Amino acid sequence: MKRKILIIVGFFSALLLAGCYPDGPDYAEELDVVLTYHNDIYEFGTKTTYSMPDKIVKITGNLQEGDEPVFVPDATAALILSRIVQNMDALGYDRVNLGSEDTDLLLLPASWETTTISYWYDYWGWWYGGYYPGWGWGGYYPYYPPVNVTSYTTGTLMMNLLDKTELGTNGNPVLQWAGAINGVLTNTYDANRVNTAIDKAFNQSPYLKTN
Amino acid sequence: MKKIFFLLVFTVIAISAFPQRNLTALQYSIGFGIGDMQDFIGKTSFRGFTFDYRNLATANVGVGVEFGWNTFYEEMADDVYEYRNITYSGKQWRYSNHFPMLAAADYYFKPDASLSGFAGLGIGTMYTLQNTDMATYTFEKDAWHFALRPEVGVLIKAAPGVGLTLAAKYYYGFKAGDLPAQAFMTISFGFVFVP
Repeated sequence: MKRKILIIVGFFSALLLAGCYPDGPDYAEELDVVLTYHNDIYEFGTKTTYSMPDKIVKITGNLQEGDEPVFVPDATAALILSRIVQNMDALGYDRVNLGSEDTDLLLLPASWETTTISYWYDYWGWWYGGYYPGWGWGGYYPYYPPVNVTSYTTGTLMMNLLDKTELGTNGNPVLQWAGAINGVLTNTYDANRVNTAIDKAFNQSPYLKTN
Repeated sequence: MKKIFFLLVFTVIAISAFPQRNLTALQYSIGFGIGDMQDFIGKTSFRGFTFDYRNLATANVGVGVEFGWNTFYEEMADDVYEYRNITYSGKQWRYSNHFPMLAAADYYFKPDASLSGFAGLGIGTMYTLQNTDMATYTFEKDAWHFALRPEVGVLIKAAPGVGLTLAAKYYYGFKAGDLPAQAFMTISFGFVFVP
């Protein structure tokens, strides 16, 4: 009898602990992450001008030779580019026309989306039965292991700063600064959320400030 | 690691080879991180339990095993982190799971009294699984540590064959793999069954 009590107490203790295992994030914006990289021997302080395209290219990964690139819709791109300009202004840079000889730096924005689909068989739920409305506690168990499917799409905005005079061994300009903002996409464009992330990318890069 | 495993197996076989009085305890435990463990997660853990079994070699000495599980968790505020010339910011969710598996021996100061203090030592292994979740990514580290666990506590006789226990335990898992030493203290309380 005591052994049975012990087993039952042990079983429910484990169940209780498993049941109160801590949860993670509750909201999509909590998953936003901002990452910046910089070339630590490059002197940003001596630069004063930059140029930037008026469009944001969307990297789809399936562009064939001769295909037209895809761009972020103009209205959305305008909001993003405007926020980048505000931050560059605050750091002391002047924006000049693309292709101008006076350009010290080239700022190239790009974006892409990634969809992740995952699924798993919930054997525990299958055995337990009580997880499913209508089945009732200790009632009938499903005859199949339920398959849970989840998917999410993340969006990434990349901001690359290049100096056309600093070339790598392959002849291309070397990346001097990169800011990447990544987050789970929702149904609507949240300007406040994107602006906050862009601001963070620049705020966590104080070395970009001009002298 | 094999040596620790065989030590545990040997202990289980040795204690079951001598059918004497035994003691089984199930305890809920509250954990407090120490040192590097506390640096990783500063919050107190309210998710833990231990299972203890002792064979009473004499009235004062119990030899047996301990298995446990302690989960530490902390939701970090949106913060900035640096790694070389990379800076990243966002929220983090940190999890640290510890599974001690120990051969243990206790000394009971007044085994026949209704309230008896005891002191013990555990030795064996502790598996640690740590996750740092950030954005949609998780960064995972795990290791099998060589572990020591001194403890002090009291046993209270509540009814024939059933008692209560309250103990303070200090777990120390030595540096292993990618993880530094993992140390935490627990306050454990629960039921003791003496057939």
